[in-house]
Amino acid sequence: MNNYFQKTTSAAPLVVFRIALGLLIFGSIARFWAKGWIFDLYIKPKYFFPFYGFEFVEPLGELSYLLFAICGLCALMVAIGLFYRIASAGLFLSFTYIELIDKSTYLNHYYFISMVCLMMLFLPAHRYFSIDAYRNKKILSDAIPRWSLDSLKFFVCLVYVFAGLAKLNSDWILHAQPLRIWLPAKNDLPVIGFLFNYVWVAYAFSWIGCVYDLSIPFLLLKRKTRIFAYSAVVIFHMLTALLFPIGMFPYIMMVTALIFFSPEFHEKILLKIGTWIKVSGDFTKPSIQYPVSGSGILPVAFGFFLLIQVLLPLRHVLYPDELFWTEQGYRFSWRVMLIEKAGYAQFIVKDAAGNQAVVDNSKFLTPLQEKMMATQPDMILQYAHILRDHYNTQGFRSPQVYVDSYVALNGRLGKPLVDPITDLSKEKDSFSHKPWILPFGNEIKGI
Amino acid sequence: MESLKKLATFSLTLLLLACGGKESEPSPADNTKDRKVILTHWVDNIIRPSYVDFRESFDVIIGKAEEFTTSPDQTTLSALRESWVDAYIEWQKVELFEFGPADKYTLRNFFNIYPADVNGIVTNMNDPSTNLDLPTSYARQGFPALDYLINGLGSSDGEIINAYTTDPDASKRLAYLDRLTARMDLLLTNVISEWNGAYRETFINKTGLDIGSSTGLVVNAFVLHYERYIRSGKIGIPSGAAIGSTGVPYPEKIEAYFKKDISLSLAQSAHQAARDFFNGTNRFTEQEGPSFKSYLDALGSKDQVSGATLSNIIDNQFITIGLELDQLSPNLYEQIQTENQEMVETYTAMQKLVRILKVDMTSAMSVTITYTDNDGD
Repeated sequence: MNNYFQKTTSAAPLVVFRIALGLLIFGSIARFWAKGWIFDLYIKPKYFFPFYGFEFVEPLGELSYLLFAICGLCALMVAIGLFYRIASAGLFLSFTYIELIDKSTYLNHYYFISMVCLMMLFLPAHRYFSIDAYRNKKILSDAIPRWSLDSLKFFVCLVYVFAGLAKLNSDWILHAQPLRIWLPAKNDLPVIGFLFNYVWVAYAFSWIGCVYDLSIPFLLLKRKTRIFAYSAVVIFHMLTALLFPIGMFPYIMMVTALIFFSPEFHEKILLKIGTWIKVSGDFTKPSIQYPVSGSGILPVAFGFFLLIQVLLPLRHVLYPDELFWTEQGYRFSWRVMLIEKAGYAQFIVKDAAGNQAVVDNSKFLTPLQEKMMATQPDMILQYAHILRDHYNTQGFRSPQVYVDSYVALNGRLGKPLVDPITDLSKEKDSFSHKPWILPFGNEIKGI
Repeated sequence: MESLKKLATFSLTLLLLACGGKESEPSPADNTKDRKVILTHWVDNIIRPSYVDFRESFDVIIGKAEEFTTSPDQTTLSALRESWVDAYIEWQKVELFEFGPADKYTLRNFFNIYPADVNGIVTNMNDPSTNLDLPTSYARQGFPALDYLINGLGSSDGEIINAYTTDPDASKRLAYLDRLTARMDLLLTNVISEWNGAYRETFINKTGLDIGSSTGLVVNAFVLHYERYIRSGKIGIPSGAAIGSTGVPYPEKIEAYFKKDISLSLAQSAHQAARDFFNGTNRFTEQEGPSFKSYLDALGSKDQVSGATLSNIIDNQFITIGLELDQLSPNLYEQIQTENQEMVETYTAMQKLVRILKVDMTSAMSVTITYTDNDGD
């Protein structure tokens, strides 16, 4: 075992990943900015939904632009390897801060990027083919500890495997839900659109998607199947990009899968870039090894981090009732595209003096926030507290908040999600089960 | 390579297994999931014919209003009132098409925002240069303003006729009546000519389901109309049911306040028009055609517990509401004052439908509701 931690490998794959990651995040930030989403998502809303335990994360108002600018700048600096440690710390912190402001915008791939940035912060990705190494030849090295690249690969494998395991549920496998709902919506696409009228196509997509997630990391790991696997990655993610509004996700996964390729492959890429920007051969082929130490805190810390990553997606077993219904333990678990959920939540605020109001959600929330809130119990509770505090200032005395909710999940008829007679103003958020979530009354078998 | 082959065989077997045991689904070859067919049916067999009928009934108003303004007397007043009732009923069958051209001109804002703003009408009458496009003017025009002008100016017909003949403000009233009908005529002409022009093609070719697609627009407009303008506007707000069973009633907020005994028939027409649109009822043949109903059936949407189709559940709820409406007094003002509980029950039945339309139907169709809620108003 100790022997493993002494091993080194070419720095090229990690370095190519560093460059690609930096550029991709920069691209994402630019896209976000250009679409006006900084304003729409972080400035326009009057209220925000911070994550439990991260309530100290405050929206920044107009300063959000500065935060995004810092994030974009750090991403570029990471890509070129300038002041790498500071830049990667800045990237991790700014990106994560953005994601923590409002859980209405939560997406698994943003969480993925956050976690990857956290790992990159501690990896020697700047030791080679970076401005830092160009300016300070002392740190230049074309070999890095093998565990550092392997831990990234392991993390990517985890993501795929958990995404695949999550698909092993009766809705996905036996009922082709929710693809059965989503695919016919695309039946007007040219050439392939007609296919989506057939139910068997939804089944085929569901099954292939599941097999894909469960097998692709292993096929990428093996040299023999790698090319085939990578073609599958490209086709699969291009198809999802065509069918679903999932933004940068397909491109992130396509780039990420490159880390499985051989050192030679990545060295060729770097050599190409090297000739293009005219750096000397000494720089691209230094043959200096990274001083490796077998013991040390870093491998232990990475081991601990990866252990948490293995356990986190399994935490839902600690909660009663159906995960897709309660969503207790749903986030941070690589459950992607698994549920079609729509909801309706009408709040009534009352007090002992007989004051009563029906809440117009649009006066408090953006359409996106309302849509997310209506189907997720923890957000319903947060919103109830927002309303309680608001009506407290409007002449209501210790206002009580009730919700009339109605949620449809994966083609089932809708039903109330939250107990309408629970006064949510008195309930507190916590990691324990929320007893005021009404039972699902149905079963989705699976892991 | 061996493992690859195994994988391929494995997945293929799974696929065959998955598809083998399924109940038969409607064949896609019959076009039932083709949204272009539905859009075409909507525009050619429902929307445009409905506008044609409304146009005809509105032309009668214009004629009768002209006769009335030329010589205001009992005969011309009665004739104008009759044409107003007929056209108001026909309006209920087009008000739900507030997408595309009608949305562009925000037709509903200028045709049917009530209760009428009586003081505002007087202000506008005294100053013919007032801008009728402003939101403050919405409730000073359209059917509710006409209601006030032909039914609400006095306690007897004699008084009303005097208001147009001997009263010092008579000429201003006549002019305002003219101004309102002319304005409605112009807006309606604009909307209809767009439907008859290039918009038809645009409409039937935007076959997606994303934001801005025709089906997306129609679903949003349809659900919004039922929620806000039928459930809340006609029943929930006047009865106070919109804010729970203990809400304060506002009977003076009923539709057609100055001709109270048609308030129920207006609500019934609007409700029936929504139901007919859901079922795709052809305005020429009265037969059901491509519609939300047929599309939901083609998608196979149903209650997994009872096996009932979603379209059936929805249509049954439409029927239930229809029966609730039938029990109400033709005069909703009286109904609210004597037996408001029945109004509340009707509201509850409508609320149930709104949820199903807004959550179950849109979710089954994979359409996003993009309009924002406005329940408190």
